[in-house]
Amino acid sequence: MKTSGLLWRRLPLRTRVIGAFTLGAAIAALVLVVITYGLSRQSMLQQREESSQRQFFANARQVQSSLRAENPDLTQLLESLPSLSGSRSIVRTGDETWVSLSLTPNDVPAPLVMSAVEFPEAKTMRYRLDDEPVLAFGLQLRPSAASTFNEVAYFEVVPLAEVENTLESLALILLVGGALTVLVGVGIGLWASGGLLRPLTDISDAARSIAHGRFDTRLEEVKDPDLDALVTSFNEMAAAMETRITRDARFSSDVSHELRSPLMTLRASIEVVQHRREELSERTQQALDLLNDEVIRFENLVQDLLDLSRSDSGPMENDLVNIEELVKATLASADDRIKLEVSNSAQGGLVMGDKRRLAQVLDNLLRNAEKYGDGATRIVVTSTGTDIEIAVEDDGPGVAPSERELIFERFTRGAAARKRGTGDGAGLGLALVDEHARRHGGSAHVEGKEGQPGARFVVLLPKAGHR
Amino acid sequence: MTIKILTIEDDERIRTAVRFALEDEGWSVLEAETGEQALEVFNSRTPDLVLVDIGLPGIDGFEVCRSLRGASDVPIIMVTARDDTHDVVAGLEAGADDYVTKPIAPKELSARIRALLRRVKPEDSTSSPRTVGDLEIIPEEGVVRKSGTEIHLTKTEFHLLCELSDQAGKVLSREHLLEEVWGYDYFGDGRLVDVHVRRLRTKVETDPAHPRHVVTVRGMGYKLQA
Repeated sequence: MKTSGLLWRRLPLRTRVIGAFTLGAAIAALVLVVITYGLSRQSMLQQREESSQRQFFANARQVQSSLRAENPDLTQLLESLPSLSGSRSIVRTGDETWVSLSLTPNDVPAPLVMSAVEFPEAKTMRYRLDDEPVLAFGLQLRPSAASTFNEVAYFEVVPLAEVENTLESLALILLVGGALTVLVGVGIGLWASGGLLRPLTDISDAARSIAHGRFDTRLEEVKDPDLDALVTSFNEMAAAMETRITRDARFSSDVSHELRSPLMTLRASIEVVQHRREELSERTQQALDLLNDEVIRFENLVQDLLDLSRSDSGPMENDLVNIEELVKATLASADDRIKLEVSNSAQGGLVMGDKRRLAQVLDNLLRNAEKYGDGATRIVVTSTGTDIEIAVEDDGPGVAPSERELIFERFTRGAAARKRGTGDGAGLGLALVDEHARRHGGSAHVEGKEGQPGARFVVLLPKAGHR
Repeated sequence: MTIKILTIEDDERIRTAVRFALEDEGWSVLEAETGEQALEVFNSRTPDLVLVDIGLPGIDGFEVCRSLRGASDVPIIMVTARDDTHDVVAGLEAGADDYVTKPIAPKELSARIRALLRRVKPEDSTSSPRTVGDLEIIPEEGVVRKSGTEIHLTKTEFHLLCELSDQAGKVLSREHLLEEVWGYDYFGDGRLVDVHVRRLRTKVETDPAHPRHVVTVRGMGYKLQA
């Protein structure tokens, strides 16, 4: 019982609702069919028995009255008797003497004969004759003193086949009706579960929409008091989340913006000094280079932070981006030793999205390979059904399986990156790759290269029209 | 004659550093701290190009753009600390020809200024006059007539229209237009094209909401047709 209960609970809700309706309809149909059939059968048989019995007694009285004659012609009498729905008669006039038109003495069961002969009341019996259901009546008659007979009994055999046939048809009709009832039950179950689950479907759609970054998604108000509480609390949760996310995003965005103004002064001033480089001593030049490098690094960091805060909340440009063109344009300003391979199926492949963010994804992967993987060696663009796959490969030390997820988190760097100790990465590049890919409905991951050292960073983007 | 550039920026340090950097390029730099002051300087000194910081106290950068654009065709580059769609589009709608984001390296800023100044020069004389529907374009003279009436376009709008009419009937991608009109590479901002096309439509279309001449081809770009 317990295991079946668990099994039941493991089924989907919809299946369970439909199942319950079906089961209920089946039980109701079964009970109805059994009771209807039983009652009909009983009343039909009873009716047949009563009408036959009335006919039997009428016939028996005629036979009785004929017995007053001294030597009655029983055969002629039997011929004159009305036969109701194929009933047949036989008269027993002595142990071995029977008179009948169509029955033999063997057609009447011995127990009926015995009890009819011994007791004065009418006797009834139901049995099968020649494989047909029949009902037989028997009654002791009193011959007159003048009669030559002393033990007379009258029997009638009434066929029940007709009633049985009717009952069979009824049973068939009832079974079909029952089956239809079950079907209707399934139908109602489908409809009711649809109505019951609609709010749940709505909620899961809304939740998915929020997960995809549309934080202003809300459920529609409903009249149903049961659902209203759920809808209200869901919307409250969504609103609280939206407020929080926008506040967090605004904070990092504000911080980044405030940092941009001093950076602009720094950048411009450094360039003015760079312009007069020759006037500086070698030592000062070195210091200037350090300053310049650090300002650039700082700038990249602020830009990454800003992009991350925007990818949390900012709107996305939606253009059709030709991935092959994008990769080629990105590579135009990169190391020309990087090989580009575009599979036939991926040629001209379009992605609906933000060109600059997609370019940033590629840029960051190239920068990442540059810093930690001895530089990218190959970019492979392929098409996998509904997605376009961009893989950036390098011949570096690769990424340990235990770190393959971790390195996409903000402010984390893999062991390889830490060992290099260059310190010029904040651990935001891959986080941005991941966030941008997800904002486009895609994903990013890293894998090893088959049979070779090195890493293969893969970005999957849904093709336009497949999102 | 040296080219005069007006920088409108409330942060004195940025203003000074930018002035140094631009002067190193051989340009003469005028400065204004507020929008009001900028309009004054603009009227008395007629600079060849204006750099406007959007986050000005008082009259903000958008307003300055609108005032300048109302009075002249002077090329305007908007300097913004936010490259959110909202700010960028608002700035371009207000009349800026291009925008740069802080912190911009002076080298890039100079490149943008040079690209914009180049555009201001007359078209090469090889471009012949052409007619597209009720539009008559005479590149040499910088004149556009709609049904015989001359209409006024900014230099950027004019250049954009010329570029489109060079290959009238053909769809030109935003990348192509960015490269030809603004001098950007593949990664230029497509919003520049979109906003300028919108502004161009308000001038050359009879019903800008249902453009007949400058048509958007979704996912591909724009084309000019009769």
